[in-house]
Amino acid sequence: MAVMSQAILYEYLSLGAVLFVLGLIGFVARRNMILIFLSTEIMFQGVAINLIAFGRYWMNMDGQSFVIFLLTIAAAEASLALGLVILLFRRRETLNVDVWSEMQG
Amino acid sequence: MDYALAVATALGALSIYLLLPRGRGSLVKTGALVGVLTLGSAMLYLLRWVGLHEVESQGAGLNVFFCLFALIAVISATAVICHPRPLYCALYFVLLTLAVAGLFILLFAQFMAIVLIIIYAGAILVTYVFVIMLASPGGNVAVADYDRVTTDPLLAVLVSFVLLGTVLQLMFIGKPRAFMAARPSGPVAVGMTMGHKILAGKPAQAGQKPAPKMGGMELLGVNLYSQYALPLELAGILLTISLVGAVMIARKNEPAAGVLGTGQMPTE
Repeated sequence: MAVMSQAILYEYLSLGAVLFVLGLIGFVARRNMILIFLSTEIMFQGVAINLIAFGRYWMNMDGQSFVIFLLTIAAAEASLALGLVILLFRRRETLNVDVWSEMQG
Repeated sequence: MDYALAVATALGALSIYLLLPRGRGSLVKTGALVGVLTLGSAMLYLLRWVGLHEVESQGAGLNVFFCLFALIAVISATAVICHPRPLYCALYFVLLTLAVAGLFILLFAQFMAIVLIIIYAGAILVTYVFVIMLASPGGNVAVADYDRVTTDPLLAVLVSFVLLGTVLQLMFIGKPRAFMAARPSGPVAVGMTMGHKILAGKPAQAGQKPAPKMGGMELLGVNLYSQYALPLELAGILLTISLVGAVMIARKNEPAAGVLGTGQMPTE
C-alpha cells in the first residue's frame, strides 16, 4: 500500500472543511427543524472524512475507530432530536423554529 | 494570501447565497451557474496545487475518482441545504452518504464505507424520512412557508465562508512537507501499536491466512477492543440511554400510560 503524500491528504481535508461549512450554513439559515438536524449530519460527514483521511495518512486504525464512535453519537443524536421534533410538532403543528423563539414556562 | 483561492471561496459563497431558498424571486439558475464556475475553478486550483507539490508522485496527481466523489458530495450537500422540499433534502443526503462512502473506499476504509451506508442511509435517513412524513404540516400545500425562506442568509453565508476561507488559506499557504521517514509504510507496518502485537503474537504456521490488511474488520476490531475498550462500552451505554430517552420523549402524554415518564401520578 503506497504511502499517502501530504498533498493528497490536503485534498481530503479541504473537502471535509467544505462539507462542514455547508452543514453550518444549513444549520444557521434553514427554519425547518428537521432540516436543521439534517445539516448537523452533513457536518458529521465532513468530520468523518477528515478522520479517515488522517488514519490513512498515518497508516493506523485510530481514525476508523473514531469514526465508529462518531457514528454512535450521530445515531444517538438523531434518535433524540427526532423524538424532540415529534414532540414539538404535536404541540404547535408546525416545524418552523421561529414559533419557539420566545421562552416561557 | 492566495488570491486564486480567495476568489474561488468568494464565488462559492455567492453561489450558496443565491441558491438558498428565498420566496418568489428565486435565483436558482444564476446560483447554479456560479456554483459550476466555483467547482470548476476549485478543481483547477487543486489540480495545479497537487501538480506543484506532489513530491512523492506515487498517486500521479489528482485522482479521477476523488474528483468524481468530491463533486457529487459537494453538489448533493448544497442540494440538501438549499432544496425547499424536506423529502428531497433527505434523498440528496443519501446521495451524499454514498459519495462519502466512495471516498472511504479510496482511503482504504472499505468496512467503514459499508458501515456508513448501512447506518446512515439504512437507519438514520429512514428515521428522518419517517419523521418528515409524520410531521408534515396540514393542508394541501406542497411546500410550507417556512421552507421557502431562510433566516439571515447573508450573515450565515458570510460567517461560514470567512471561516472556510481562513482554514483553506492556512492549509494551502505553504509547501506541504515532503515525505516523512518516520511514517510507517508497509502493509501492516501499520502503526497497530497494541493490536498489531496481539495479532503478530500468534505463531505463524504454513497455510495460515495472510496478515490482515487495513480497511478490513479484523484490524479495526482489534484496535477497538484493545485500545478503545472502555469508550466502546460507554458508547453502548450511550446508545441504550438514547434509546430509552427517545421513547420517553416521543411518547404521547396519556394518563393511562402509567407513572413512569410522565412525571405525574395517574389520577384515579
